Amino acid sequence: MTTFVLKRLASLVVLLVVLTAVMFLLQRVSKTDPIVAYLGRGATGPAAAQARHHLGFDRPLIVQYVRYVDDVAHGNLQMSLHTHHPVMDDLKTYLPPTLELLFTALGLSLIGALILGTVSAMRLPGAGLLRLVMVAGAAAPTFLLGQLGVVFFYRRLGWLPATGQTSRNGVPTGPTGFLVLDALFSGDWPLVMDAVKHLVMPAACLAIGPAVAIGRVLRSSLMSSMDADYTRTARSKGLRESAVVLRHALRNAASGPAQMTGLQVGFMFAGIVVVEQIFAWPGLGSYTVGAITNSDFPAIVGVSLVAGAVFVILNAAVDIFQAAADPRVALQ
Amino acid sequence: MSRHDVRPRASEDADEDETEVAVLPDLAALHVMATAEPEPAADVAPVVRLDDVHLTFQRAGRAVPALRGVSLELRPGEIFGLVGESGSGKSVLGMSVLGLLPAAVEVRGEVEVCGADMRTISPGQLRRLRTESLGAVFQDPMTSLNPTMRVGRQMVEACGSKQEAVRLLDAAGVPDPARRLRSYPHELSGGLRQRVMIAMAIAGKPKLVVADEPTTALDVTVQAQILSLLRNLCDELGTAFLLITHDLGVAAQISDRIGVLYGGRLAEVGPAADALERPMHPYTAGLLRSRLTLETDTFEPIRTLRGEPPIPESQPPGCPFGPRCDHRTDECEALLPPLVALTGTDDRATACLRIGAIGDLVAAEGPVAVGVASVRERPTFAGRPAALNLVGVHKHFGGGRHGLRRAAGAHVLRGIDLLVREGEAVALVGESGCGKSTLLRIVAGLAGADGGAVEVGQGARPQMVFQDAGASLTPWLTVGEQIGERLRSEGLSKLQRRARVNDALRLAGLSEDVAAAKAHQLSGGQRQRVGLARAIVVPPEILLCDEPTSALDVSLAATVLNLIGRLRREFDMAVLFVTHDLAAARLVGDRIAVMYLGRIVEDGAAADVVERPAHPYTRALLSAVPEAGVRSVPLKGEPASPHHPPGGCAFHPRCPEALPRCATDEPPFEPSPAFGRPVACWLVPGPDRPPDAAVD
Repeated sequence: MTTFVLKRLASLVVLLVVLTAVMFLLQRVSKTDPIVAYLGRGATGPAAAQARHHLGFDRPLIVQYVRYVDDVAHGNLQMSLHTHHPVMDDLKTYLPPTLELLFTALGLSLIGALILGTVSAMRLPGAGLLRLVMVAGAAAPTFLLGQLGVVFFYRRLGWLPATGQTSRNGVPTGPTGFLVLDALFSGDWPLVMDAVKHLVMPAACLAIGPAVAIGRVLRSSLMSSMDADYTRTARSKGLRESAVVLRHALRNAASGPAQMTGLQVGFMFAGIVVVEQIFAWPGLGSYTVGAITNSDFPAIVGVSLVAGAVFVILNAAVDIFQAAADPRVALQ
Repeated sequence: MSRHDVRPRASEDADEDETEVAVLPDLAALHVMATAEPEPAADVAPVVRLDDVHLTFQRAGRAVPALRGVSLELRPGEIFGLVGESGSGKSVLGMSVLGLLPAAVEVRGEVEVCGADMRTISPGQLRRLRTESLGAVFQDPMTSLNPTMRVGRQMVEACGSKQEAVRLLDAAGVPDPARRLRSYPHELSGGLRQRVMIAMAIAGKPKLVVADEPTTALDVTVQAQILSLLRNLCDELGTAFLLITHDLGVAAQISDRIGVLYGGRLAEVGPAADALERPMHPYTAGLLRSRLTLETDTFEPIRTLRGEPPIPESQPPGCPFGPRCDHRTDECEALLPPLVALTGTDDRATACLRIGAIGDLVAAEGPVAVGVASVRERPTFAGRPAALNLVGVHKHFGGGRHGLRRAAGAHVLRGIDLLVREGEAVALVGESGCGKSTLLRIVAGLAGADGGAVEVGQGARPQMVFQDAGASLTPWLTVGEQIGERLRSEGLSKLQRRARVNDALRLAGLSEDVAAAKAHQLSGGQRQRVGLARAIVVPPEILLCDEPTSALDVSLAATVLNLIGRLRREFDMAVLFVTHDLAAARLVGDRIAVMYLGRIVEDGAAADVVERPAHPYTRALLSAVPEAGVRSVPLKGEPASPHHPPGGCAFHPRCPEALPRCATDEPPFEPSPAFGRPVACWLVPGPDRPPDAAVD
C-alpha cells in the first residue's frame, strides 16, 4: 500500500514536470506576446521593455525554463497576466468551488449510475423509461442541457437559482472552501439550503453524461455477475434476492464501473468549463476561460497542473478502491 | 420366457402422441415392487418426487425441450447417480430440484422436493426450503465461491455461526479450519474449495444435496478424495445426494442407485452395481463399452456408439436413442418407449420397447469384455530417428525483478528429458500444475524454453489439437478457410486447395459440406474433428494433443481417440498426447511418461507402466481411476504449487512410502534395471545403487 502510494506520487511528479515542459514550449512557440497580455494592447516602448525585463522574458529560453521550474517547485506559479495576482493565490480562490462542483457531480453520477445499472440489470419495472431519459440527457450537449435547465427550473418553475454559488454576500470562507460544508460548520442552515440549491443544477448537468456511461458498464458487469456461479451458490443457500445482489453480485461487478469513473473524471474537467460559464460559477472553469482569451500562460499552466494532479489522484483512488473491492487485485 | 418379463401398464395407448405415453405412472410399479419385497427405506416419503416432468426452454423463439417426461423418486439417505451426456437434461433436472430454473422455463408435471410442490412454492418458502432442507455443490469450485468474500463469511451465511462453520469445514476434511475462515477462495486449492462448497452444502443437515459434476474440474487423485468424502457424509448424516455426472465410473463408485438420462428421458434406473454389471438399455451398454478403462483392449479400436447425442431442438418422434441403436425396429422409431419396471429383477426399470427380445443380448455385450487383450507384439520404434528430443528443458514463469524485490516465480519445468521417435505415440500423464501443457507449448514453438535443448525433426512443423475445440476455431471464418490457411505457402490453385481441404475433412470422418460451416454450427465432436483435419492437412511429423477428449462426452471421446490412432498410422505421425487420464494414455500411447511438478518421474512402455508401475505416484494415479464398486484409497493432499516446490523429491509430502532421504535429496531420473525403464524414485533401485542401499 505504501509503495503503491509512493509510486503514484512519483508518477504524479513526472506528469507535472512533463506538463510544465509542454506548456512552456507551447507558450514560446505561439506567436502571442505575453507582454501584450500583461500590459494591454497599447504596450510599446520603454514600459514594455521594462516589463519584459521585469518578468524575465528577455533571458535565454533555457534560463527562463529553469527559472520557471525552480519557481514552480517552490510553489510560485508566477503572476497571472490577466488578474495580476500570483497564480497560486488565484488557484486557492477558484479551486475550492470547482472541486465542490466536481465532487458533487461525481457523487450524483455514481448514484445515477447505480440506479440505472441495477434497475436495468435486474430488469425492474421502469427500467426502459429510466434508461431512455438518461440516455437522452447524456446525448444532449452540456450547454443545451444547462440552458434548458435554466429555462425550466429557474424561469418557469422558479425552483432553483440560475447563477453563482449563493445569493448572499459575505459568506464564510473556511475551513474547507466548500460552501455547503463551511455553512454547515458555521451552523447557518439557510445558507446551507441556499448553497445546495445553487449547486444542484450545474452538478446535475455535469453528472448526467458520466452517469449513463458508468451505468452502462455497471449494467453489463452486474448482469454477468448475477449470472455467475457464485451467485447461484448464494441463491442455493437460501439468501434473499436483495442480499444476493447487494452482498454478492454488486461487489464483484465494481471493477469495470470504477475504471470507467476514473476515465469520466477527465471528461468532467472539460465539461466544467462550459457549465461554470453557463451558471456563472466562480470557479476554475471561468478563470480558465479568462486566461485563454487573454493568452495568460502562467494561469493556463497553473490550471493544467491542478487538473492533472486531480486526475492522477482520483485514478489512484480508483485503483485503491478496486484492490479493496477484490482481494485478487494487487496494487502495483 | 425371458427373465425380463416386461410389465407395461396401460401400454396399449402407447400409440398416442408422446405426451400421452409419458403420462404413464412409470415409477408406481417400482413402488409396488418395493412394497412386495419390503425394504425399510422404501416406506419413508421420498425426498424428491418427479412425476412426468416436462421442462421446455425458449431459445431464439423456439421451444427447446430439455426434459420430456421424467418420473423419478429419490429415497432418503441414498446417493442417486444421475448419468447423462451433454444435452441429456441432467443439470436442468438438478436445477429444477433446487428451484433455480430461469423464469422463462415452462414446467409441466409434478416436482415435489421434501414435500413441497416446486411449481407453486412462494419465494419465501423456497428460501426456507433451501436453507433447511437443500444443499448444492456445483462443478467448478474456482467460480462457485464468491471471490471477494472471505470463506468464513460465506460459510456463516449458510450455517449461522463461526463455531458451526469450523465444525462443518472439519467434517468436510478441510485441514486447520479455524484459520481457513480468514482465507479468500483464491488462496485455496481446487480440492479445498470444493470441500468448502461441500461444507456449505451440508450446513443444517439438509435432507438432500444436489451435486452437479462435483469432481469434473478436479484432479484425478483429488476426485477420489472428494468422492469418498461424499460417500462418508451420506452415511454419517443420512443426507440423500443427487449426484449428477457424465462419468459412469464416478456414479458407479459411490452411488446406491443410478439413473441414465438420454435425450431428456430416463433410459434406465436401477441399483448401481447391478445396472452396470448387467445393463438393460442398449444406451447404457454402449456407454459402458465406450468408457475407457485400464482393461480396454489396446489393439482394437474402442467399440463406440455411432453418431452423436441428440440435439434437444430436434428429437426423433420415437425412442431418443433409436438413431444410434443397433437393435431398433420400425416400432422404436414410431413410439416413445415408457420406463417400465422389470419383474424378476431387483428394483430395476428400463425404457426400451424391445427389452424382452434383446435384454439378455444387451446385458451380455454391456461391460467391456475383460481379458481378451491380444498378445500381439507392439511395434518397436527403437531404430528410427527422433521426431522430438528434449534434453534438460527448464521453464520459469513470472519472477524476475519487481523494483528492488525478487518476486517468487514458478519453476514449471525442472529438467525434462524426453525422446519421441518417428511414428511413436507418447502419452504424457500428470495432474494440474505439473507442466504438461507448458511442455507441449514449448514443443509447438508457442513458448520458449529457459534452459536445455529442444530438437524437433526436419519434417513439417508440429501441429496442435486443443482441449477446447470450439475456442480454438475462429468464429467468423468457415472451417474450409481455416483448414486451407495452412496450404497458403504451397502455391496451390483454388481448386487444388479445396480438394486438399476436402481430403483432410474426409480423413477426419467429416463430410465435405462441413467446409462451408462456421464453428458454432458444429457439434462438439465435429469441432474436435475439424481441429484434427486442420492438423493433418499438411501431415506434421509430430502431432501434439492437449487433452483433446476431456471436454467431450464419453461416447465421443472414444471415437476421437480411435480417429487419432487411425490418422497416426495412416501418416506415420509421431504423437505427443497430454492427458490426466491414465486409461486414455494407455490406449493412445506406445509409451507413457508420468509427470509430477515439472519433472518426469517414470517413462516406459504403456502396458508395462500400467501393469507394473514403479513410481508411487503412478500407482496412486492408477488407483484413482474410478471403477464401479472399487473404493480407491485416495492419495492424501493435492499437487504442490510450482511456486513453492517441496525440497528433495517433490512428491514426498504426499508419498505413502516416503523415506527420510526423500525430503532432502532429489532422486535422479535414471534407468532402473528392475523395471527396465527410467524412474525418479529413491525406493526404486537405480543402475549404480544396489537395492538395499536404496532403503537406508
